[in-house]
Amino acid sequence: MRAAGLGLGLLALGAPLAAQRVTFGPQFALMDYREVSSGLRYSGTGGGAVAALTYRRFSLAAAAVRLSLDPTDGSTAGVGFTATQIDAWVGYDVASYASLEVGVIRRTADPELDAQSLGAVRVGARSSYPLGPGATVSFRANYLAAPKFSGGGHAAFSLDLGLGLDVQLFGHVRGLADYVFQRVNRRTDPGGQGEIDSPIQQSVARVGLGVGF
Amino acid sequence: MRSRLRTLVLLTGIAWPSAAAAQAVQNATLRRAQQAYDNLEFRQALSLAQASLRERLTGAERARAYEILGFGYGAMDSILKAVDAFKQMVLIDPERQLDPNKVSPKAYSAFDVALRQVLLVRQLRIDSTSFVGGTGAVPIRFAVTQPARVVTRAIGSQSSFLVDSGAWNGQVNLSWPARLPNGDPVPAGVYTVVVEARLGQNAFSASQPIRLGHGIVDTLPHLTSLPGYQELPETEIPPQSWRPMGLAFLYTGGALVGTVGLEGSGLGASSKRELGIVGAATLVTGLVMTLRKPAARPAAGNILYNRLLREQIARRNQEIGKENVQRGRQVQITVVPLPKPGAGSPR
Repeated sequence: MRAAGLGLGLLALGAPLAAQRVTFGPQFALMDYREVSSGLRYSGTGGGAVAALTYRRFSLAAAAVRLSLDPTDGSTAGVGFTATQIDAWVGYDVASYASLEVGVIRRTADPELDAQSLGAVRVGARSSYPLGPGATVSFRANYLAAPKFSGGGHAAFSLDLGLGLDVQLFGHVRGLADYVFQRVNRRTDPGGQGEIDSPIQQSVARVGLGVGF
Repeated sequence: MRSRLRTLVLLTGIAWPSAAAAQAVQNATLRRAQQAYDNLEFRQALSLAQASLRERLTGAERARAYEILGFGYGAMDSILKAVDAFKQMVLIDPERQLDPNKVSPKAYSAFDVALRQVLLVRQLRIDSTSFVGGTGAVPIRFAVTQPARVVTRAIGSQSSFLVDSGAWNGQVNLSWPARLPNGDPVPAGVYTVVVEARLGQNAFSASQPIRLGHGIVDTLPHLTSLPGYQELPETEIPPQSWRPMGLAFLYTGGALVGTVGLEGSGLGASSKRELGIVGAATLVTGLVMTLRKPAARPAAGNILYNRLLREQIARRNQEIGKENVQRGRQVQITVVPLPKPGAGSPR
């Protein structure tokens, strides 16, 4: 995957500027995170950055956010934690408004045992459609394959849905916003007594400005 | 006695050329020679004419002196001397012509022999003419007194054109179409038609200036448009529609439905705050794009139509260009001879 990404990057650097587009910028993020039961829920804000590159039918995107999550009202959690999430996608346009994509997700918690860390491979599709000149809306559905958790367990069903918006505000400045809802049906066997459901659910909103060339 | 001799001379046909008599003679000796000839005193006329040649004479007077000598020797039956005198005369004045009906046969035959013994280009004539380019020619006439290689050129201020090159003798009639190798008429202006005859070491040239003018060519103007056909705008503004708003609703609704569908009952419903922020931004963007004037987009049909129209105009202009070239070649050419700056001369 890294080799493919590096290859795409080198290809993009060597290509004429007109055939590619680069966007990057900072982002403000909000997150709602729930784990195991409705009583264990967190909410918080943070910052991050996003970078995207398109070259002909290929696209490469990466986003990183770091959020401070605190227990919400009525939560059974005692303390909050800091979550760091990194997402990466490589896409290929199979039609004018549809592309297939693969990627990775890596979310860690600090302190490490206060929440589940997650690592998985993304496989899915994305649909993008221009709303008008310089404005594009997109919808993403990724299956999170082979998820790994810091607390063990497995998940046969994990989905990641996203809504994205890219608007040209003025000149090279773009407004970027995306929403990601993630559902992981994790099951664990904590004491060898049999598997129990330990689902994870989070929703993230990232809003920011970007510079596009 | 004197009147009888005068009658005899008249009977033998020795008469003074009328043209020569009309010319004024300044030199006194030559005038006396002419008077002596008129009085049929040939010996005295010959003596005085030879004496005048030793004095300062103009070209015309010198030619006149040799002419008196020619006629005098002719009257005295000294044909060889008469021929020599006439040779000197025509070398000075190549255009000098004797009327066979007014001079004695002896004198005329001596003059004719003299002409055949020197190389001359005489009586170069270019008549005024007017013709359409490609359908006529400039007539050039001249006489060569001996068989010779004759080259005829039309020399202009910018360029020179070869009219003819060939071996000629006697009366020559040439036609110059006044065209360039590509068919265009030669440029208008003043040309000098030079006829150069060469026989061994002897050469002689004569020239005649002419003015060659062009008539007005009624050319067709090039087209910038075809009557009745106008270029269409190559971009068009699509009609305003609710499509952007609909798409925003569709995508936001999809995210909402997906979120609600995936929310587990055990974890409770999510706050929807995150979806609300991004969804609202999407809907607002959709609304703005709906209300905004749509951007112009290329009108493929109009672009194709304009391309065909331009090709048609270009094709028509190409035809007009060819037609104008053809018309330019068919210009009315007018040729007028100009006064000669000087007579021809042996070289």
